[in-house]
Amino acid sequence: MASLIEVKNLSHTYPNGFTALKNVSFSVEEGEFLVVIGLSGSGKSTLLRILNRLIEPTSGNVFFKGLDVTRIEGDELRTHRGQIGMIFQHFNLIGRHSVISNVLYGSLGRTGTLQSISGGFSKPDVQLAKESLLRVGIADKAENRADSLSGGQQQRVAIARALMQRPRMLLADEPVASLDPATSHSVMNYLEQINKEQGTTVICNLHFLSLVRKYATRVVALKAGELVFEGKPDAITEEWFKAIYGEDAIEVEIR
Amino acid sequence: MRSADMVATPNSLSTKAFGFVGDLFIGAYILSVLDRVVVPTLADYVAFPLSPAHAIAYIVFAILFASTSLLMGVSLSAAFVRKTLPDGISRKILTHIGYFLLSISIIAGWIITDVSPIEFFSGKGLAGAGRIFGALVTPEFDIIGQALATMVETIYTALMATLIAVPISFLLSFPAARNLMDGSRPKRLIYSSLRVVLNVSRSMEPIIWAIVFSVWVGIGPFAGMLALVVHTIASLTKQYSEQIEDVDSGPIEAISATGANSIQTIWFAIVPQCVIPFLSFTIYRWDINVRMATIIGFVGGGGIGTLLIQYQGLAKFHEVGTLIIVITFVVWILDVFSARIREALK
Repeated sequence: MASLIEVKNLSHTYPNGFTALKNVSFSVEEGEFLVVIGLSGSGKSTLLRILNRLIEPTSGNVFFKGLDVTRIEGDELRTHRGQIGMIFQHFNLIGRHSVISNVLYGSLGRTGTLQSISGGFSKPDVQLAKESLLRVGIADKAENRADSLSGGQQQRVAIARALMQRPRMLLADEPVASLDPATSHSVMNYLEQINKEQGTTVICNLHFLSLVRKYATRVVALKAGELVFEGKPDAITEEWFKAIYGEDAIEVEIR
Repeated sequence: MRSADMVATPNSLSTKAFGFVGDLFIGAYILSVLDRVVVPTLADYVAFPLSPAHAIAYIVFAILFASTSLLMGVSLSAAFVRKTLPDGISRKILTHIGYFLLSISIIAGWIITDVSPIEFFSGKGLAGAGRIFGALVTPEFDIIGQALATMVETIYTALMATLIAVPISFLLSFPAARNLMDGSRPKRLIYSSLRVVLNVSRSMEPIIWAIVFSVWVGIGPFAGMLALVVHTIASLTKQYSEQIEDVDSGPIEAISATGANSIQTIWFAIVPQCVIPFLSFTIYRWDINVRMATIIGFVGGGGIGTLLIQYQGLAKFHEVGTLIIVITFVVWILDVFSARIREALK
């Protein structure tokens, strides 16, 4: 059986000449919790964005469920994106809109243009939005403005928005980098729950190794755009850590 | 030292070339001010049409000036291209050339605009000014009904112009926003040509448009409104599109990532970030349009401006005084209101 996602010889160079990824290959099996580690600027964010084609790779291929999605366009691309939920470091909610509206925007991919603009989301979708909010524990905030919530709460709304897509896979780009330690664990716990209970594959960029050891089932490490490590989280020894983060790096723990 | 200067600039050859051409114009400007304005005034000789000998003299002087600047490394135009002045003695020379240009420009300006303190302070002149100011502060309130009626016409002209322009500007602002049109060549082409059209129509003052439209649809508020519509579309589209260029790209990524199409992405990720600034720009634009509608009335755009120019032509300055009071009052009230609303929207 084919892997859920397979990345082959992926390279990306930005228009300004910066090479973010160099010949990266790996694959992810259904149900994994894969964590991508590496310094800022090592290409983690670029990698994630190529998987749902927010960024076009310069060369190489991405296969999703055995299908080459590297060059698809239009409806095909939107269908592909619809199957993959994404959450971001800065949550990227529509601050002026209500929490429930933000969650409903997760269903834009399967809602017609006119229907969505006139605010006519389908009944099952409205129901699913409420359930998604309940799952992340903020059903009582449904009618509040999204920007009135705390960082951790906003990230949970973003998770609910991703759940709204009924995704096969979740991409999380530094989901806890702007949150405090306690809130970080809460957000990571929700991701773990979704991974374990629904079997949704998660690919997550993280900075803190303590979080990596707690949540990851497998780890890949990028250094200056190259894949330098692939294995179980407890295989990241002191030596590997220095190799990935540089000689001067000191591990900081988040409990 | 000069060679060091040149090393410091990446395009030293093109900088030199541009500097030389620019200096040609500066040289020609200096000679023309002296020859056409300053000398004729001092020597009381009438400037004759440009003869071939004259033209040659201009060219020779310009070339001489530009070459000297180039050879001495004190080209003003080159400094303009580099956006920095050289150091040391060159800097001093350049500063002095700058002062010289400013001085002869002031002298030429004084002569050309017929600045005449004698007329300004003459007894006859002051008496005339006194009469008009006296009339203005003793307004004729018999025409207040007419004044208010035409003022209402002006306000509604401005309101209609703004309301008609808003949806058009809204639609145009998206293709006029660089961040949305960077994707492909045809998109960039649409963006650039739209920008050119908007910039040209914005550079044409509404008063020019009013003259055009008063011939087209006849003198009256409709002509004034059309003139304002054109100008408002150009201005609002620019402001709107700059706001769009300023939006946070995070929500755009997030909405695209859900599988939304481009219209949905614009509507759900960009529009919510722009509504309030758009409203603020629009209210301010209406405020500006009321002032402009008054001026446009002077050239046949209807409203209180047309009435004012009529009374002014009949030298009925007491009536003009009434109109000025009404205009000032309304503009002041609108200014306060629009500032308040915009503050509240923040």
